[in-house]
Amino acid sequence: MELKITEEGLKKALKSARKPEVTAKQKLPVRYHVEDFKVEGRTRAFLEAFAAILKHSNYKFVLDHYIRISAKCSRCTTNCQIYEVTGDEHDIPCYRSELLLSIYRRHFTVAGQMSGRLFGDPGLTDEHLQELAASVWNCTACRRCVNECPMGIDHGLVTHLARYVLSEIGIAPRALVVSTREQLIGDSGNTSAIPVPALLDTLEFLEEDMEEEKGVKIKFPINVEGAEYLFVPAVSDFLMEAETLMGNAAVMTATGGSWTIGTGYFDGINYGLFYSDHVLEKAVQKILAEAERLKVKKIMIGECGHASRSAKYFYPAFCGGKDALPIINCMEYAYDMLKAGKLKLDPNVIKERVTYHDPCNIARPGWIVQQPRELIRAFCKDFVEMTPNGRQGVCCGGGGGTVSIDEIMPYRMEIGGKYKAKQIVDTGAHYVIAPCANCKKQIREIIDYHKLDAELVGLHDLIYKAIIFD
Amino acid sequence: MAIFEWEEVKIDVDEDGFMEEPDQWNERVALALASTEGVAELSEEHWHLVNYLRDYYQKFGIAPMIRKLCKETGFPLKKVYELFPSGPAKGACKVAGLAKPTGCV
Repeated sequence: MELKITEEGLKKALKSARKPEVTAKQKLPVRYHVEDFKVEGRTRAFLEAFAAILKHSNYKFVLDHYIRISAKCSRCTTNCQIYEVTGDEHDIPCYRSELLLSIYRRHFTVAGQMSGRLFGDPGLTDEHLQELAASVWNCTACRRCVNECPMGIDHGLVTHLARYVLSEIGIAPRALVVSTREQLIGDSGNTSAIPVPALLDTLEFLEEDMEEEKGVKIKFPINVEGAEYLFVPAVSDFLMEAETLMGNAAVMTATGGSWTIGTGYFDGINYGLFYSDHVLEKAVQKILAEAERLKVKKIMIGECGHASRSAKYFYPAFCGGKDALPIINCMEYAYDMLKAGKLKLDPNVIKERVTYHDPCNIARPGWIVQQPRELIRAFCKDFVEMTPNGRQGVCCGGGGGTVSIDEIMPYRMEIGGKYKAKQIVDTGAHYVIAPCANCKKQIREIIDYHKLDAELVGLHDLIYKAIIFD
Repeated sequence: MAIFEWEEVKIDVDEDGFMEEPDQWNERVALALASTEGVAELSEEHWHLVNYLRDYYQKFGIAPMIRKLCKETGFPLKKVYELFPSGPAKGACKVAGLAKPTGCV
């Protein structure tokens, strides 16, 4: 498979699903849908929102540092799966960061304000704002470029901040905004709008299926006060990932784990990580409230990269401090149980070749890299790595919230996910393991779109097939 | 929001063509929505799937888990894709008049 995009592919990728009259009305040449917002005076509004965020956060000292050290050397290009496909200078990570850093330099530093007056720089223009709004949602915020930046600039963080400021003036993908609204103020209180009766019906259905298939009673314990773990998966798993959830339940049952799902809150998804610190904080507070209600000792996040990272790193930051409950990912639990000899897996069940995709949010910090590999090696005979992998792993192309934006699917397939498609083909694997709700959706679409001879699964999907009950 | 017209049917839809008011759904609306999904006629199997989704939605206010959909209709996922090429969530649910799924779906 050739990485470099063809002219025809580029045409498909960049085709906008937006109606031209909406783009004209909003004066916004982007490919994602945006709810109506105040177009007039938006450059001023952007600067005011930026100023407010700088005043009430720690971003200022980061930006002061970045504007001094940014060398714009473009070494990051060697680590960007978007740039490798398009070869377009607008997709160079440090070019994208410069779009925001230049605004900061011009409007929020003394030197910038002085030279602006002396040399007649008009400041932030609407064209610049439009370019920023389009650019930040081409990036998947995978932060792989951080590996290569000689100055240590986190372009993912700069992209996040730019999205945050834009969202404050109403420019954010509608798909994320609508889901977040349902999660924070909607009746269901979760991003997929699943009412509690539907959740209970689903879990009961899965329990029946598991008993049929395994001959063992496996339960999803509901609202158990004082349980050791509150289990919080990406809520979409309750619609899409039956096998993953059955794997989670099977592991907990086989190892005698004490766990519960709370009907007060059962959604690990936190799109705030992608575009808004307000949302990030409110969504982690919902997990905290449920953990307190059920008096659990720890919180276990399901197979989901961004849900795990947002909880692990931002729950202590926003609402726990050093007293925050410990947060683990379900693969860490399974790994510990394997090491303790409590999780037994039959090595003769999975005969096909398997490969493992590292979700950026848990692999990039080096948090969860080795654990899933040891689990896989414990029962899969033919395990092949993708190259590169682990902390250097390549994004599925749907990271940073972009997978939930359906209207940019051609972009995710032709550009964002091309590198991952090539990696999958090169391994020759039948099973592609991707323990993340975002990556699962994207890789399923990649397999379908590029007609690959592979099957997407979660790690717990395979564990469910091979688990042994005493 | 936009208005979608097909023969005598006139309904409010979102940018992706999903119904804004699922209560306005009827069998003619299903045919109208199917035409946007490249499904010209609704066979008995299509109706079996659509009616199941509709019933579940009216009872629980959301689409069923895909595994449950497959098991209870007796259609493997492949068959669902044959019936509705854009799949259960984007194709079948749209024709059954459900609102567009949100979140990582």
